[in-house]
Amino acid sequence: MQNAKDTFYTTLQARLAAINPSRTLVLRGLVRPAMLVDENELPTAWIPMDAFRLQWTKLHVTSASPLPLVEMECTIQYATDGSSGNGGMDRGRLLAAMDAELASALAAEPHTVAKLNYAAAGAGVAPIATGTNVFWADPVFGAASAVGERLERTATVQVFANQEAGEL
Amino acid sequence: MSTTATPLASVALIARRVRAYFAPVNRAAGLPTLFDPAQLGRFVLDTPPAPWIDLGWVSTFTRKCATKVDPLRAGAPAATVGQVRSEIEATVSLEFEVWGRLQATLASGSQQTNLLTTAAGAAPNGSGGVAAAPVPLLTGTGSASTATSLNVGTTAAAGFAVGSLVAVDVDYTGQLGYIGTGVSTAYVQSASAVGSDINYVRRVTLNVGVVIAISAGALQLSGPLPAGVPATGMRVSQLAGFCDREGASFFQEWSALFVLAGAQGDRILYHYPRLQAMQGSSEATEILAAPLERVRLAAAFRALPVKDANDGESVLCFRSYLPAALRNP
Repeated sequence: MQNAKDTFYTTLQARLAAINPSRTLVLRGLVRPAMLVDENELPTAWIPMDAFRLQWTKLHVTSASPLPLVEMECTIQYATDGSSGNGGMDRGRLLAAMDAELASALAAEPHTVAKLNYAAAGAGVAPIATGTNVFWADPVFGAASAVGERLERTATVQVFANQEAGEL
Repeated sequence: MSTTATPLASVALIARRVRAYFAPVNRAAGLPTLFDPAQLGRFVLDTPPAPWIDLGWVSTFTRKCATKVDPLRAGAPAATVGQVRSEIEATVSLEFEVWGRLQATLASGSQQTNLLTTAAGAAPNGSGGVAAAPVPLLTGTGSASTATSLNVGTTAAAGFAVGSLVAVDVDYTGQLGYIGTGVSTAYVQSASAVGSDINYVRRVTLNVGVVIAISAGALQLSGPLPAGVPATGMRVSQLAGFCDREGASFFQEWSALFVLAGAQGDRILYHYPRLQAMQGSSEATEILAAPLERVRLAAAFRALPVKDANDGESVLCFRSYLPAALRNP
């Protein structure tokens, strides 16, 4: 399951970075595409603006198969205060831009990607391909909500993978 | 050096939706276009191999087998000692996700006509009145016409606009039988039946395109004409749209390929070499948010048989399964 989560995250991150390379954030001193997985970061109350935050929530495993089918729900939260230069009056436009970027990244073909094992990956060490793919359904976008001057939205995506023998 | 790999277990195919492809049937010769899944089954969905044409995604794809299997009984009391297929039949129904010339034609169940721009003062007619004079393709002057560029000359080009729909085909000069370049789109029983209309072939042809630019007397099209480079003698007519008629007599026939691309790289291909419409034109509506409705072309087809060259079996549909890489068969 972790391989599927990692693979979906890196795939979505790469697609979003390709769509809008200028959407970045600084995290632990590094400039990176503005997307992170909450459970992979230090616990904090800080909510990054103009960035996508992934959380893995529901899990369902169907074992009636030689390779159990794993269905995971990924919630993607994002928010914006608008830009200070515009007094925040462009927050609706900026949220719409993030909506479009996320929708485009998830709608792009293919809707599958080879599942990779990142356990041993690192500098100069590529992840190892497993034998199956990760795939996902269309996203469901929740209602935008206003918290003070902040606009935020949560989208959910069902992510699927087959669990291979010995796989975490 | 040797390499060894351990195959994975096969799993049920999981797919998002069905992609449909069209190829013409040579009606005069009775020859469908055959798809060879052994050679071409892994083609990229966006770029089907020639002569297959992408029809886009389809929904509510439903295959039905109506083949009858009857028992052969013998003895007293009678017991089944064998079985026989007394009748083979298969149908397909679907909804096209896009309204295009080809999709509308296939779904209509009969011939579909191009609504050619009418001549001044033409009497009203349900499938379009008498058409305006067609524009010839120039030869020897300017660049030669291609599948995506029509050289009509600067004077005639002034009569077109970006966005114009055009039909490109030969004049009707008394041809009988199947007509339409590239795809047989109508059957003419007599010249008098079609009023010896010089535009009749262009009225029914599927060789249509949309003008996206006009330059130096040439009409640039958004994509290649289905029939390729225009042949000598072809002319160009503008059209407003398309029309099909409930009650018309012609049966469209086409070679069909439907692809279910699985999430694990597996793939199912359904190849119906001969499909004919089994219902008139109809639509399926989906309420988006009242009163808005999405209207899709609904179609149903009956499969006709072909002979499998491998063993002479009479076949309505070939279903092929291509497993994902390194799976136990």
